[in-house]
Amino acid sequence: MRTSHCSHNLGAAQFRSHVAISRERAGCGGRGKGVFLSCSSLWHGRLPHSSEAAADTSRLPGRSAWLCWVHHSALSAVICAPQLSKALITHPKHIPVGAPSHRVWSAGGLRSSCELHRTAPSPVRTPRVGGGQRCGVSRPPRIAGMVLKVFFPSCCSSAESGILIGRWIPEQSSAVVLAVVHFPFIPVQVKQYLREVQQVAKVSVSVLGSWNNSKQEKEESLSEFLEDLGTIFSHEPWIQISKEGDSKFWNCSTLQKQSDSHREEEIILVYYDQRKVMLSHLHPPLDTADLGAEDASKLSAIFNTVASSKVLFMTDRYDDGPIKMTHWQSDGVEASIIVELMKQASVPACMLLTFLLSLVSGVCNSRLLKFWPLSFLWSKLSTCEQLGHRLQHLQVISSSKKAQNQTQLMRKANIFVSLLIDVALGILLMSWLYRKNQIGHLADTLIPVADHVAEELQDLLQWLMGAPAGLKMNRALDQVLGRFFLYHIHLWISYIHLMSPFIEMILWYVGLSACLGLTVALCILSDIIALLTFHIYCFYVYGARLYCLKIYGLSSLWRLFRGKKWNVLRQRVDSCSYDLDQLFIGTLLFTILLFLLPTTALYYLVFTLLRLLVVIVQGLIHLLVDLIDSLPLYSVILRFCRSYRLAAGVKFRVLEQQDGKPLRLLMQINPLSYGSVVQTYRLPTYSCYPKDSWTSLCKKLFLGELIYPWKHKGEKQD
Amino acid sequence: MVCAQVETSPRRCWQKVLYERQPFPDNYVDQRFLEELRKNIHARQYQYWNVVFESGVVVQQLCSVCVFVVTWWYMDAGVLSPQGLFGAALLTSLLGYVLFDAIDAGVGRRESGRTRWADLKSTLVFTAFTYGFSPVLKTLTESISTDTIYAMSAFMLLGHLIFFDYGANAAIVSSTLSLNMAIFASVCLASRLPRSLHAFVMVTFAMQIFALWPMLQKKLKARTPYCYVGVTALFALVALVGLASVSSVGAVLFASLLLSVSCLCPYCLIRLQQLKDNIHGPWDEAEIKEDLSRFLM
Repeated sequence: MRTSHCSHNLGAAQFRSHVAISRERAGCGGRGKGVFLSCSSLWHGRLPHSSEAAADTSRLPGRSAWLCWVHHSALSAVICAPQLSKALITHPKHIPVGAPSHRVWSAGGLRSSCELHRTAPSPVRTPRVGGGQRCGVSRPPRIAGMVLKVFFPSCCSSAESGILIGRWIPEQSSAVVLAVVHFPFIPVQVKQYLREVQQVAKVSVSVLGSWNNSKQEKEESLSEFLEDLGTIFSHEPWIQISKEGDSKFWNCSTLQKQSDSHREEEIILVYYDQRKVMLSHLHPPLDTADLGAEDASKLSAIFNTVASSKVLFMTDRYDDGPIKMTHWQSDGVEASIIVELMKQASVPACMLLTFLLSLVSGVCNSRLLKFWPLSFLWSKLSTCEQLGHRLQHLQVISSSKKAQNQTQLMRKANIFVSLLIDVALGILLMSWLYRKNQIGHLADTLIPVADHVAEELQDLLQWLMGAPAGLKMNRALDQVLGRFFLYHIHLWISYIHLMSPFIEMILWYVGLSACLGLTVALCILSDIIALLTFHIYCFYVYGARLYCLKIYGLSSLWRLFRGKKWNVLRQRVDSCSYDLDQLFIGTLLFTILLFLLPTTALYYLVFTLLRLLVVIVQGLIHLLVDLIDSLPLYSVILRFCRSYRLAAGVKFRVLEQQDGKPLRLLMQINPLSYGSVVQTYRLPTYSCYPKDSWTSLCKKLFLGELIYPWKHKGEKQD
Repeated sequence: MVCAQVETSPRRCWQKVLYERQPFPDNYVDQRFLEELRKNIHARQYQYWNVVFESGVVVQQLCSVCVFVVTWWYMDAGVLSPQGLFGAALLTSLLGYVLFDAIDAGVGRRESGRTRWADLKSTLVFTAFTYGFSPVLKTLTESISTDTIYAMSAFMLLGHLIFFDYGANAAIVSSTLSLNMAIFASVCLASRLPRSLHAFVMVTFAMQIFALWPMLQKKLKARTPYCYVGVTALFALVALVGLASVSSVGAVLFASLLLSVSCLCPYCLIRLQQLKDNIHGPWDEAEIKEDLSRFLM
């Protein structure tokens, strides 16, 4: 039989419905007669060809059926305990050769057999039938029609025989096996241990069934004996898995005690990697399809079961407890010295950091720094914003509360890694800056650059004062405005020249702050650009105010020209009878403003464009800072290295099949895509995007209102 | 309803209703059709000389525009000095001011409640403002081509003539707009003059001729019709003579325009009245003829 290998990426939403394994059974022999039909339309072209096509395809209903786990009707029931002859509950190895290890358990005669057991000599451990009679523990009945799914950890495939413990989820008719308890054991101790585990882990762990791993041929006695165990650990249904030698195909069966009719159950065996499932974190689907939600919860039930049973996995085989188990950590609990050392060292480090941070924030919030000019300055400098943001991050990391859930843990880790990378890049930058007198070079080029910018501006103004682009400007106004702005530039140049001896020293000290992180260095760069282009900002404000005034005056006087007035009360334009002198002066002013409009508009246009250029440059720097701030590096690296930790869902791989044996699937974790990782774990940033839409921005530009494209979240909107 | 005898066989009377089934077709009418039709009941009978008299207003405005343009032409050519113009305008304004009050013996002033002091104040404000802004006014249109200026001024003056309040009760009338357009035109033209004093004088003169002169004429027309006719004729003559000194073709055209407006148009109006064909009937919209002011408190 060829291996039918169909692995599909299944989201949690599709756990139940998209597992399309089509398997055709030839003939009706054997126990499980189930035909698994969940063929979604996705699978149409991709179904494996099970070549034993003695398949009567008439058995398959339509391929577009959305059913899962269709339970075949013609199954025979399993008859319960009474007629089986059981062996003593002993470890097979402890059976002394020839000892009569069989007892006949009569129907309902469990108590009598107890007495028998009490008197027997015991190199064997006898069970005390504590729960023998408690056969019918009330459990919610299984949903009829669902196929039984057994989730078996792959690490227990080679375990010795024993009983299976785990969790039974009746709503999904699935049994999640967590460990195998080996012989010898005392049932009462097992039950007590399970109760303790249940209390700690808050997961209902119970004994699910028996596991028979016989290295040689099938031992009838052992299998019968294991069936008898089902009466002691009453569980409905009692699952029996047996493996012969090195065969890959196992036998699975269930015992139903409650129903009388002998039904053959269809069982699916799903192997899962326990360690991976325990460590992974399931991400619910981002789109809330209604089918997705309930399916996601089914899958998350399984994941949660494994993840919460951590205490179960703490006992390994070298412990001296009464119970010997096999699970993924039974060869020894994983630990690494480095992690332990770091955990120990982190507590005092966190406390120290918290203390320092409280000092710093106390200084920052002091009254001294809240005086008006200073507070205004702080709010305008983006460096202070960035430092405040990082301070907040540090506070999050160094808080003494442990992370409540996965999201918080990831957030802390992301912040930590982001800070680390930031500081590392900053130190790198610093080492480059302070090497070979780069600061000096920078300072030397700064003054000529500023001079150059000023000269370019002067040329621009001279061009405007002439006849720019052939437009005819009003000469007088032109001259006035041009001279005003030229004087401004002259002032600026003198100021720069005055500062030139100190530039290098200032730069040197400012460059030191790059050790706080690359983002801080970028913010300082943005602030320096803002300071250097301050005169452009001033020009823009002058031009915009002048233009705004003119537009406002023109619109009002135009209404006067037509004999109308703006009614503030009714917010509409009404007619009005003006006085004669009002009319005269109004018309005169209107004429003057109208003819001076082109000049003002041109100056405004030029300076607005310059200002927008500067704003765009600053905006790009801020975008870069935002990127470094908000990228969840830790999550991305985790996704790259340990992709099973971030699970979007699972996929099933169909392993080799054999007739008469249950269907075997391998459950593999489907990792989250990089895009969803970034989207889910993005860190929030403090700045927001332009608050104006394009139309309102254009309208503001047209009317001459001042625009502030990059407004920070904390500022009040006016 | 009196039933009319119908030639046709049905004995029943035709009733002008549609809600009863009648043996007549739906669009049937009897001989009483349109007997309530009335024609031209609101048509007015015009007297020729009355209409000619009323057309004096239009003649006045045309002449004002003409005088203004001619004056500007003279100032531009340098024939008229600004001081001379200013003096003459001042004298005329004072004369007109005195006449304004003397015509109706102070009744109008008392009714409107406007004091002499308020008049003086507004004059001072206006003069100061114009004088202060005259340098700006002068350089306003330096970079605009002359043709544009002429076109704009012509357009504005035309608008002034269209929107002027000639006494008719029409929706298009807007005295504010017409005055503003005239001032705009005057500023445009004044900015072409050599010096700022010229501009100041021009604007002041425009104000006098477009704002103050029609006020005086309106009062004159109401009180002393014969005086008004004389003044109009004189004004028209002055305008013609002035225009003739600038351009004879223009003068001829202007004279013909004036004649047609004052003499020809009334004749056409009266002749065309006979071709009027307004029909009235019970289908007209109802008009409330009652005086509803008794409902006001």
